Amino acid sequence: MTVHTPIETRSGGLPPWAIGLTLFVFLVGGVYLLSNLAGENPPFAIPGASGPGPVASGGAPDPAVGEALVANAQPQCAGCHGADLAGSGSFPSLLGVADGPASENLQDLGTEHPDDWAQLWIDGTTPETEGLDRGGMPQFGDQFTPEQLDSIVAYLKSL
Amino acid sequence: MTVNPKKLRPYDVPPKRRRSLIPGGPDSAATGFLVAAAVWLALATALGALAIGLRIISFEFSFGLGLFDLSLEFNQRRVDYAFVNATVYGWLTNAGFAAIAFMTPRLLGRRIVAEPVLNLGLAAWNLALAGGIAALYVFDLGPNAPLTAFPWLIDGGLATGALIVTGVFFATAGVALQSGYVSLWFAAVALLSLLGLVSLNAAIGLFDFFIGLPELMVALASAYIERAVLVMWLLGMAYATIHYVVPRATGQPLASAGIAMLSFLTWLVLAPFSGLGPLLEQSIPFAITSLGAVATMLLIVPAALAVVNLVQTLQGRWTLLFGPGTGAAAFAVVALAFLLAASLLEAIGALRSVHDLVGGTDWERGAFLWATYGTFTFGAFALAEHALPRILRRAWGGGLLSGAQLWLAFVGVTIAGLALMGGGMAEGSLLAEGTAADAIDAGVIGYRAAAFLGFGLVALAGLVMLVNLFLMYTSGEPAEYSVPGQAATAAAGH
Repeated sequence: MTVHTPIETRSGGLPPWAIGLTLFVFLVGGVYLLSNLAGENPPFAIPGASGPGPVASGGAPDPAVGEALVANAQPQCAGCHGADLAGSGSFPSLLGVADGPASENLQDLGTEHPDDWAQLWIDGTTPETEGLDRGGMPQFGDQFTPEQLDSIVAYLKSL
Repeated sequence: MTVNPKKLRPYDVPPKRRRSLIPGGPDSAATGFLVAAAVWLALATALGALAIGLRIISFEFSFGLGLFDLSLEFNQRRVDYAFVNATVYGWLTNAGFAAIAFMTPRLLGRRIVAEPVLNLGLAAWNLALAGGIAALYVFDLGPNAPLTAFPWLIDGGLATGALIVTGVFFATAGVALQSGYVSLWFAAVALLSLLGLVSLNAAIGLFDFFIGLPELMVALASAYIERAVLVMWLLGMAYATIHYVVPRATGQPLASAGIAMLSFLTWLVLAPFSGLGPLLEQSIPFAITSLGAVATMLLIVPAALAVVNLVQTLQGRWTLLFGPGTGAAAFAVVALAFLLAASLLEAIGALRSVHDLVGGTDWERGAFLWATYGTFTFGAFALAEHALPRILRRAWGGGLLSGAQLWLAFVGVTIAGLALMGGGMAEGSLLAEGTAADAIDAGVIGYRAAAFLGFGLVALAGLVMLVNLFLMYTSGEPAEYSVPGQAATAAAGH
């Protein structure tokens, strides 16, 4: 005798509540999808890549957020610019960013982009800074979002 | 003529039965997969406790192996990756394969085709996995998520194991699958998904090794595979298992075939899209990731349908949960509770506003624990509780160890998951305020300590399962159950 014990079912039909529940939840999901069609995703957080982790997105630049980002950036800003960011060896001071670029190689960038030259310089991945001698300055564009860069510059300008 | 049995000549003695190198008896593969799963569970829970411990006290070291400039590196990321792989590919996947090897012949009334081949699949999968976990401590992890971090050769071994299991399953089920029970449908899609995903991962690793692929592309593919393995393979097998175990353990028919089919169809449609949710990258259209997030939220539908259907199936048999011993039904009920809770949490976590707060924090690991050590683990416990006495023809030693296993795992995973999710919310809030990393670590250390203690209980539950299994094998009371494809040996059911 071959043992064959299929599982019986009490009812084969589909109760109306199950159809109703499914349609209702799909409808809610559809509405949520339609209200989230436009926007921009943040940069992808690649596993293993160093970074400061998520911060609040949107809103005005926050110097406090910028301070945390500067402290956690990889490589660390203080590693080259000194623990107090006042410069170290051939690496320039980050104090006085509010007064415009001090380094000679950034003068043109400062003239052409007086409002966001610092963001562009720290980012380093945009066409505006292409060809500029970075003198060992890393590109942070892959690590920070534009909002985060704004917060970093707001912090530097507050020093 | 009378024969004196004490004077048998040598040729009257039947030759000793030779044991083949590769077992091929009925249920041998199911036994092998279940034993392998139990061993991986013990290892995975130990690694998990260590991984959480390393979040509290960071510690790392490395030393040269004296071979090809290779060095062994021990750090938090590598231990975390080993934990995830031992959990998903070790414990839960072996349990999933065991469920397939156990259920298929019983639901279809035919023996597994080529059981020795299935045992080869068991060997291929587990040898590759053991090598892969060792490799995690030696080779560069690259931009991969945990489940795709093995070297491509190891991925090839896993794909081979998955191919063998899938091939044997479809060769056994054949056309009967069309009219088969819903568990087999879930299992069929889940198996094909696993095969496709590990093969895709192996192919990406191969191309990356020989021609080099952009880091971002590898990372995005890795993120999709990581999510898809959880919602297509593990979730699919959890549905397959509980839809099998609950009617069997209660001895009652499934409440509704229609609801079961709707549950299957909604899962089938939504699960592949859920993998798009984690692809949060500037170059990916916003609508695509939104679609992934919505699919993740809507996975609450098949979960709710399955829970209602199986609770209705349990109606009138609630005493099974509170009687002496715990039984498969009790494990299945906990699995159902976690299924609903984890689906709800996943849905909440997929909301963009919530994800902005808790993405990348301990919340994600907490949600992972509730899914893997809640839903999937209790589903696998239910299967083991139901299947092992029928496979080994022995009864469980007693209710005490099973009860300890259930409560330790339940309390442990509840505490660990809640603590990590709470810590994740605190971590997200601190990050949003721009708090420095050291201050954040100090702020969440209490949550992580609670999670460590909770997961320690889960590790203890893993050990209890191993001890329970050992005692059953060595000193369990004989119990007769019928074997598919052979004459029924007892009136006991499946």
